[in-house]
Amino acid sequence: MNWGDGLAILGGLAAGILSGFIGIGGGTAFVPIMTVGFRFNQALAQGTSLAAIIPTAIVGGVTHVREGNVLLGPALWMGGGGVVGAILGALLAAHVPGLLLARVWGGFLVLTAFRLGQDAWKKANVVKALPPG
Amino acid sequence: MIPLQLWWAGVSQRHANANSLIAIIPISIAALPVYYFLQSRPEVDFHFALFLIIGSVVGAYIGARILNRIPEREVTLIVAAVLLIVGLKEVIAP
Repeated sequence: MNWGDGLAILGGLAAGILSGFIGIGGGTAFVPIMTVGFRFNQALAQGTSLAAIIPTAIVGGVTHVREGNVLLGPALWMGGGGVVGAILGALLAAHVPGLLLARVWGGFLVLTAFRLGQDAWKKANVVKALPPG
Repeated sequence: MIPLQLWWAGVSQRHANANSLIAIIPISIAALPVYYFLQSRPEVDFHFALFLIIGSVVGAYIGARILNRIPEREVTLIVAAVLLIVGLKEVIAP
């Protein structure tokens, strides 16, 4: 064990909190830590994040089930559909330049962020518009 | 997966976050061998993953417990902020 391993544990802790809280997988939490913090190339970061997310998602998922946050039916259907998509995606990723892949993914995240922000903003205004009491 | 559930299935933010974490389990199990076996060289660093996992399983427990203690709207804003930061980073400096 060296400094790098210690930093990996800290990075894992941060990514794990995000993952458990938000429900995001490796692409959003672990990959940037590895590419930015540890200079991994995109493919190695993605592959390694898949290995790291399995136990992380199991612990987070079980905790969510116990907290009553999970609609198990839809979650499993989504997982099943996701399996097919993930295999196709992983095979496709091998043939698409890493830089393009990262930019497309980033653009998708930014658009999603704006739409989510807009939704939260609307919710706030609805709350304000309601008469007090 | 979170936006899909929120906008097309009308699921609440809290359920969407938790459901997607459950769905990630089979997805990662299926995709991992593709990265390990079907690339020109194995694109998985198991040594590094092990140390990430030591931190992340503790983090995942903490994160999952926090979710019910924060109001729905704030959760949405936090999700949006995280996606914005990571998204901008990927677009500007992939």
